[in-house]
Amino acid sequence: MTTAAIEVKDLRKSYGRHVALRGIDLHVAPGSVLGLVGPNGAGKTTTLRILLDLLRPSGGTVRVLGQDPRKGGPALRKRLGYLPGDLRLDGDPTGRAVLAFYARVSGDVAPHRAEQLADRLGLDLSRPVGALSKGNRQKLGLIQAFQHDPDLLVLDEPTSGLDPLVQRTFLELVREARHDGAAILLSSHVMSEIQHVADEVSVLADGRIIAQGDVPSLRRGAAQRISAVFAETDSDTVWDQIRRLPLREVVLADEPDGVHLDALYDGDLDALVKTISHLTTTELSIEEPDLEDAILQLYRTQRDPDRKTKPVDLVALAQKAAGK
Amino acid sequence: MLRRELRGSWRATLLWSLAIVGILALYLPLYDDLVTGDMQALLDSLPPQLVQTLGYDDLTSGAGYVQATFYGLMGFFLITAASVSWAAAAIGGHEQSGRLELDLAHGIGRGGYVLAQTEALIIRVVFLVLVGTVTILAFNGPADLGLELGPVLVASCALAGLALFCGVWTLLAGAAIGGRALSAGVGALVAVVSYALNAVAAQNPDADWIADASPYSWAFADAPLEGGVPLADQWPLWLFVVAFPAIAMLALRGRDLRG
Repeated sequence: MTTAAIEVKDLRKSYGRHVALRGIDLHVAPGSVLGLVGPNGAGKTTTLRILLDLLRPSGGTVRVLGQDPRKGGPALRKRLGYLPGDLRLDGDPTGRAVLAFYARVSGDVAPHRAEQLADRLGLDLSRPVGALSKGNRQKLGLIQAFQHDPDLLVLDEPTSGLDPLVQRTFLELVREARHDGAAILLSSHVMSEIQHVADEVSVLADGRIIAQGDVPSLRRGAAQRISAVFAETDSDTVWDQIRRLPLREVVLADEPDGVHLDALYDGDLDALVKTISHLTTTELSIEEPDLEDAILQLYRTQRDPDRKTKPVDLVALAQKAAGK
Repeated sequence: MLRRELRGSWRATLLWSLAIVGILALYLPLYDDLVTGDMQALLDSLPPQLVQTLGYDDLTSGAGYVQATFYGLMGFFLITAASVSWAAAAIGGHEQSGRLELDLAHGIGRGGYVLAQTEALIIRVVFLVLVGTVTILAFNGPADLGLELGPVLVASCALAGLALFCGVWTLLAGAAIGGRALSAGVGALVAVVSYALNAVAAQNPDADWIADASPYSWAFADAPLEGGVPLADQWPLWLFVVAFPAIAMLALRGRDLRG
């Protein structure tokens, strides 16, 4: 059996009386990307820093590339690539000097690898790091994480400060690393970057994983947004027809062109289509929820941090929604 | 990592060196004028406690003058300030700037990190003391100081030990608690208390314990510049210089890194 790149069980972390992690489980296989999503203060950075042995857990077990990070030492961390969430670089050394230093201490950097990455990300390595803009510092941070082709990449808010074009290059780099067998754990509160690259997502809120599964499931598990216009009727008639459907946040308005419906729909499409077939539908749009919507909905339903509930199994949820 | 640390602070090292040379170039040529002038009469007119507190009780000999102006005062303050500021940056400062987090995420161990920072601190402090020593020896003849090489080296070694003593307290504070300002504060406090205890001890010759408690007294109470003080007498200073970084390694290993 292949050793998991990350295997975390019942991980807990407290800072004095403040509880940051309330027992989380994570599993990342080699050659896969796990997205850790959550709002600020959910415990994403704490989790990532424990994997790097920058913080020590208060409880639970952590295995990174099969080893305990506390015991793995520098030899283990040479096999990791890490981008801190708040990367600050100061001083006179050039980007090239900083990368050469980390190449020396983490070893095994292919010749010209740093230059190639800098070209792709559009970074001038001859400038002093203290003079770099936030975006350029972030690019340098990505290069130092990727340049030694680590077995595991741990990236905290990796696209923060990057323009959309560079974000695309970053996603390419992640896919290439995954293709080469690396495992990638990336955290974000920007759902779109997870949506495009993660194989699986774990949703973290208040130090607990409230949902986990693959991205399509997460999206399917969330309500769809329905907009429709029904002609030759009034809102009371429409409401009589649709009120048994699992709708939320329903807005019905009588307009000159008909009744406008706007709502979130939790059920399967067949029931909806059959129900509105009795009405004259002139416009209908059913939007797949984006990940952002899906996660916001999860946050709303899982507010209580002390609630001892199992994480939502997104695959099961999606199957249920699809009526299987 | 040692090379990076030294390269990153060469400008500061150069500025501290220039300050030391500048101070010595200002003070040492004045010695000849002082001994030929009415210096002794002036000192006799001052309250003896003040003279003792300032360490000016033997200002009319070359050794006493260089001790009172450089080793015991300006050199001590300048080189200790440099030592404390480097040591404060080494762990507490780099932790705040995020560099420590990035370094430790690579193939650098916490013990190795403290060791390299300690080496960098020792090299830079010894370099500054060396700059002072060479400058003093250069002025020895022209300013008629009458110093001998052996005692100058012993006194320089004591100065390096004292500055590093304050530096390793700073380093340990950074490793155990973190924070640049806090660790610099600890180092500065140690320096000031050492100096103050020595001054109090000078006024209370019967209270040996006060001098015994002052690292400043460990370095300079026996007037090493005048000769006859063995290098081995400085062992308490150097014991701390060796032991504290080792404790700092354990302290840094045992704690969470601040974000």
